Amino acid sequence: MSDAGYDKQQAREAGEIARLLSYVLILLASVGLFVSATAIPTSRFEKLGAGAFPKIVFAGIALVAVIAIIDALRKIPAGAYGRFACQTVAWARRRYLVFVVLATLAVYLLAIPLLGFSVASFLFILGLELVLMPRRPATLLVAVIVAAVFSFGLNWLFAEVFTVFLPRGVL
Amino acid sequence: MDSFLSGAAQIFTLATLIYMLAGSLAGIIAAAIPGFTVTMAIVLTLPLTFTMEPLQGIAVMLSVYVGGYTGGLISAALLGIPGTPSSVATTFDAFPMARNGEPGRALSLGVWASFFGTIISTVVLIVAAPPLAMFAVKLGPWEYFSLIVFALTIVASLVGDSVIRGLLAGLIGLAISTVGTDPIMGRPRFDFGIEMLETGLPFLVVLIGIFAISQLTSEVEDAKSVRSGNALVTGAIDFQTWKVMKEVLLRPVNLIRSSIVGVLIGALPGAGGSIANLVAYDQAKRNSKDPDSFGKGNPDGVVASEAGNSATAGGGLIPLIGLGIPGSAVDAILMASLMVHGISVGPRLIMDHADLVYGMFIAMAVASLMMLFVSVVSMRMFLRVAEVPKWLIVPVVMVCCVVGSFALNNRVTDLYLLGFIGVAGYALRALGYSLAPLVLGVILGPIAETNLRRALMTDADPSLFFTRPISLIFLIAAVVSIAWAIRGHLKQRKTSGRSTDAPAS
Repeated sequence: MSDAGYDKQQAREAGEIARLLSYVLILLASVGLFVSATAIPTSRFEKLGAGAFPKIVFAGIALVAVIAIIDALRKIPAGAYGRFACQTVAWARRRYLVFVVLATLAVYLLAIPLLGFSVASFLFILGLELVLMPRRPATLLVAVIVAAVFSFGLNWLFAEVFTVFLPRGVL
Repeated sequence: MDSFLSGAAQIFTLATLIYMLAGSLAGIIAAAIPGFTVTMAIVLTLPLTFTMEPLQGIAVMLSVYVGGYTGGLISAALLGIPGTPSSVATTFDAFPMARNGEPGRALSLGVWASFFGTIISTVVLIVAAPPLAMFAVKLGPWEYFSLIVFALTIVASLVGDSVIRGLLAGLIGLAISTVGTDPIMGRPRFDFGIEMLETGLPFLVVLIGIFAISQLTSEVEDAKSVRSGNALVTGAIDFQTWKVMKEVLLRPVNLIRSSIVGVLIGALPGAGGSIANLVAYDQAKRNSKDPDSFGKGNPDGVVASEAGNSATAGGGLIPLIGLGIPGSAVDAILMASLMVHGISVGPRLIMDHADLVYGMFIAMAVASLMMLFVSVVSMRMFLRVAEVPKWLIVPVVMVCCVVGSFALNNRVTDLYLLGFIGVAGYALRALGYSLAPLVLGVILGPIAETNLRRALMTDADPSLFFTRPISLIFLIAAVVSIAWAIRGHLKQRKTSGRSTDAPAS
């Protein structure tokens, strides 16, 4: 029992480190965008140019990010950094379905212009259902019907009722 | 009066009423499915309303909204799982009541409480919004800018567990809104040579990516629960509709108190139904003669929670109609839908488009009646809805998201953007950033920028922000809201730090 509690503590520390990384990333991005905002030309008709508001926002982000970084550095014990890699792997493994879903979504989005909306959606829904569902014959039937309705059926609905034509594909 | 009749005429057409009925049905069904939030339902409704008249579109979205606040009750009462975050407190008493053999009574209590909550909040909205707008049109760009600063800080401090991440999320939202041409001079900004970015990031795609895709993805985090089904409460269900109506009306103090709590919280930017139900429940418990029975199936608990969360629907519209500032993510979407139709939302809305505003008031009342009608007639059917498993919901709703993002501009590049924002949104969610401030930042960004620059174009002296009294009040309120949030945060950390440090030392 104490073992599980220990793990949780380590996982929390790893989460803090991941957040720290996100703050650093946000800080770098905001500084970079701040610099690029200075290149936006100002107008002689107003005191603030088009770049002024973005500069204020990015300066604000940078400021808050610095505070967040300092706050995070205080919270994370020194030993946590060494464990970060294996904690991250463990975290990713616990949530492997998330990565499966996001990867499937990416493939689906890329496939739409090629296969067309109907075929791509049918494959996407069915594929994802097969990954996520408890494998029983009855559910398989439901899965196929649902996939067909929400791909070919949706395409028909949008074309006929809303006159929105979803991508047809080149194949 | 003319505009009132004109608004009514637009609402009481057969087509609008049918659409609204479908909307409440969709809202109830969507919110009854665990993992499908009211916000997601509204985001997905938005593209369907593009072809409608403005008022018709808004009326449909309001029906989804009102229906959604009720639908969360079904899974809360029967499964003990809040269907939406706004029905968390409903589970405390409705679930035990259902377990004690009165599932029908629990559901009917919730439905009636929601109905009266919505009606009370609509009345407050009708009374409060016009004077607020009268006051707001007198505000100059200085006051407006300060008001938005205040709104963003209060959002950041109220939502989520970390003030810093809330602030960051709000600022990132503001940053997203600066992509594309600037609102005053029309200069291109941050397009990085990409054609799609020249007109700015499409708001709807950002919304769908941030809310729907990331939410759906987080639903599959726990592999075990995805692959198993939930068992529903079985047995005969007797709704006792009219008896329960009397029961609800016999608790006027609780009903009105909870509704007022809901309206007030809904009117605060950032706080919505997800907070109101807990506060209303807490208030009901404190003022009860028998606080110990709460959590064991006390009808007052159900009434408080459901009246509280439904009343935020009307409360949230008060700042939207009065000031042009959305009170929550859902109100931001309503505002976006008006903007899609070319209607600028602000304090002048009630003067320039009075028929639209009165139409919205009427639509709220009609929507709550429809919700009541749909719930009473077909509650039995919805019991099945809560059973729909996640493995069906996740892929199907993702396809709906794709259709919704595509239908806006008919651009395939928007889909790539959707994928990218979905991943980014999930990453932010997984890291514990709250996403509501981000969305409000996106929608408030251009308003803030326009007012800031307009203020300085009118008078180059920036000290006017601090010397104009109303502007100063808003800025002080912004500082106070951050300070207050940080203080609460530190206090919490102190107590939790002590408890975790104790065994170590």
